[in-house]
Amino acid sequence: MLRFATLRLGRAAITIALVVTFAFVVLRLSGDPALIILGPEAPPEAIAAFRKSWGLDASIFVQYVDYFGAILRGDLGRSMRDGRPAILLVAERIPATLALTLPALAIKIGIGVPAGIYAALHRGGPVDRLVMMLAVAGFTVPSFVLGLTLVLIFSVQLGWLPSGGQESWRHAILPVVTLGTGGAAILARFTRSAMLEVLGQPYIRTASAKGVAWRAVVTGHALPNAAIPTVTMVGFMVGSLIAGAVVVESVFSWPGVGRLLVVAVANRDLAVVQCILLLVAGTMVASNLIVDFLYGLLDPRLRAGGRAGAH
Amino acid sequence: MAEASLPDAAAAKPARPRMPPLVFVAIAWVATMIAVAILADLVKPYVFTAMDLRNRLSPPGHPLHWLGTDELGRDVLSRLIESIRVSLLIAFGASLISAGLGTALGFLAAHFRGLIEQAVLMLADFQASMPFLVLALSVLAFFGNSLPLLIGLMGLYGWERYARIARGLAISASAQGYAAAVRQLGAGPARIYLRHILPNIASTLIVSMTLVFPEVILLESGLSFLGLGVQPPMTSLGNMVGYGREYLTRAPWIMLAPALTIVLTTLAISIIGDWLRDRLDPSLN
Repeated sequence: MLRFATLRLGRAAITIALVVTFAFVVLRLSGDPALIILGPEAPPEAIAAFRKSWGLDASIFVQYVDYFGAILRGDLGRSMRDGRPAILLVAERIPATLALTLPALAIKIGIGVPAGIYAALHRGGPVDRLVMMLAVAGFTVPSFVLGLTLVLIFSVQLGWLPSGGQESWRHAILPVVTLGTGGAAILARFTRSAMLEVLGQPYIRTASAKGVAWRAVVTGHALPNAAIPTVTMVGFMVGSLIAGAVVVESVFSWPGVGRLLVVAVANRDLAVVQCILLLVAGTMVASNLIVDFLYGLLDPRLRAGGRAGAH
Repeated sequence: MAEASLPDAAAAKPARPRMPPLVFVAIAWVATMIAVAILADLVKPYVFTAMDLRNRLSPPGHPLHWLGTDELGRDVLSRLIESIRVSLLIAFGASLISAGLGTALGFLAAHFRGLIEQAVLMLADFQASMPFLVLALSVLAFFGNSLPLLIGLMGLYGWERYARIARGLAISASAQGYAAAVRQLGAGPARIYLRHILPNIASTLIVSMTLVFPEVILLESGLSFLGLGVQPPMTSLGNMVGYGREYLTRAPWIMLAPALTIVLTTLAISIIGDWLRDRLDPSLN
């Protein structure tokens, strides 16, 4: 278990290091960071001070190490637009984003997982066909089309719900539904194929053949085994709690992290973009770590130091 | 695989299943879209930026403008055709780059093994674990925007899937008789991989391309919808939806025409991809 944990933590650290390297390389390739971060109208002494404090007069390797150090200290630069620390600007927006993505996640898991299990247990039935059809739709209808269609129906035609803004909980309904339904369809399809794969395994036949009740076979043997791939998918969805609403927030003018990212990209507010990039990478890596440890709980073979999928 | 392919092909011939009608419709739709993209200049009724100020925001069914016009009196059908051309061009370009890059890295990993293989696999893990939209937006923020950059950026989408497939298949192919035979005859690695292994695994790579292609269309239209992809005066399907959003109440057709095109096209390509996968390579899933 210790070896397992060390390996996974090491991999997480490498991923974060890759993201920081990516940001460093892209930042250096795109021009003079002093001018970019401080803006072209910054006074020369500020630029000189910035160069000194970020060590831009040193060699590229020293700069790289310093850049790492600055990020570890939480020094992510200031927004070009209002001069406040980028990290504060981003942190302010997180609650609004979570107000959409957490209920959407609940919809995805609450509908997607049971629908997928039911579809797999009743393969070829009407529910199965409906789930598969919706799953294909969930994949091919982009979220902005779904969102705008919902606005067209429920705001423009019926006038039941507001089309954008963040004044009350009613404003959150359409964005949450937009986020939740697409994800629920994808998760249902994924759960279904995981279940079908497990149901085809010899140990399920063995359990049935030795007279275990079907219900007990499903709950005792099929569900725990099908949980492993499903947890991966859910983990990915948890990891995109911050970044998964970029498009939907823009459709509904919702002031979350995604909207901030789009505006920052349009204004080339690099400090803010970099901060969001690192935040997203951090959440992704953290949720991958949690998933890896959940694997350890779900699959005893992993705790023994083996690998998933080794039969 | 090489030994098994002969009897398989012989056995499969009499029982070759007929193409399902849905797949036929999907292929017909995609063929139409490609024809429209190639012949855009011939089938467009108007220049896509031409304005007809006397017929602004006219609904579909107008004798001069079958799909209506927008706020500036521009013909929605002409803009739609131009958008299909731009969106498909970006998606094709990006898919080719991504398939080429991924396959090359997969072959490198398979050939050298060891550290290079680990590095490629680590990059693939990294790419798969980061939301691509956020990476793409960051690059656009740092470098600004242009069509070649956009195509190149989209070309980074999905490379890790080709790399994993190419690596796995190349490793198993090198262990087979034909690769060893060519090597014994003195062929260099480039010749073995490009002339012998690549044709043998091409069908699997093409299937994965049809599965990645609709995702590239969705990604490009998402970026363009946000106003961060294709820049005006050029137009793409996502741009049109983004523009039509402003006129949702007064002129929903501006948004509906491109939205429907996106959905139908990605749906059609997914149907074809699923069908090809079941036909050619059931192992991919």
